[in-house]
Amino acid sequence: MNFNDNPFMQEIVDEFCSETSGLLDTLEISLNLIEEDTSNLKELEKFGQVIDRIMGAAKYIGATEMATFCELGKAIGYKSSQINEKALIEIVVAVLFDAIELLRKMNSFLKAGDDKSMSKLNNKAFLTRLNWLCEKFKDIERSSCTITDDVTLNQKSIDELMKSLGL
Amino acid sequence: MAIKADIKILVVDDMTTMRKIIKNMLTQTGFTNISEADDGATAWPLIQGAIKEGTPFEFIVSDWNMPQMSGLDLLKNIRSTPGLEKLPFLMITAEAEQGNVVIAVKAGVSNFIVKPFSAQVLKEKIDKIFN
Repeated sequence: MNFNDNPFMQEIVDEFCSETSGLLDTLEISLNLIEEDTSNLKELEKFGQVIDRIMGAAKYIGATEMATFCELGKAIGYKSSQINEKALIEIVVAVLFDAIELLRKMNSFLKAGDDKSMSKLNNKAFLTRLNWLCEKFKDIERSSCTITDDVTLNQKSIDELMKSLGL
Repeated sequence: MAIKADIKILVVDDMTTMRKIIKNMLTQTGFTNISEADDGATAWPLIQGAIKEGTPFEFIVSDWNMPQMSGLDLLKNIRSTPGLEKLPFLMITAEAEQGNVVIAVKAGVSNFIVKPFSAQVLKEKIDKIFN
């Protein structure tokens, strides 16, 4: 992505990359803690919360692949925090470590404006793995920081719902 | 009803980039008096302090998912404080789950907006809240 003609957007992307880099460090620390103690499910929940921050901003700046990775990572983090199955958690942690590594690469390519290297990343294969893992948790209800996991709505549906609630 | 450009706004989000984006959108929309906080836990004392100083915030734009105090808890604190029952509160979230919308509405949210959104959508939401 090149924003030479939009200095504000370039500033936003630079800030996003720098902030994301720090958050990826935080995510890695969480994964190390979970790897040491697979019963540390609070840390998995924290993982979901931190990766959610990157997701929101990534969507804004049009870093769609990063946002998708984060979305899946978030769902896996929250859902796996509700199980206590050592073998599965170990797989989760391994896949999430790989996801963080790929996110780091994407982040550095984004920072450098290196679209060519970005397109060479084998993201699709890894996304399939993430989706596969997410699918393993399909029966687990909560996929987010919030209380319930009902039907996911788009803005239009939300507006309709708000309207139906008299707002 | 026209909204004053200098209406006192507080933007609450734990991601610096997001705060900057939202502030920029609000500025584009014409607002000039925008403060920010990085969590519900830091926003709440700011809101209370502003009341004590006699210059209360007139509009809160807050993310839902934050580590110390969520947007929902911030909203609940605000609504349970005398004088703030009607303070306009726009909840921003990356998540759009029906249950959450209902919970936020029950807690007294003024409106709800899903990431990513444009300055135009933000303006429409603000118009809806204030008109």
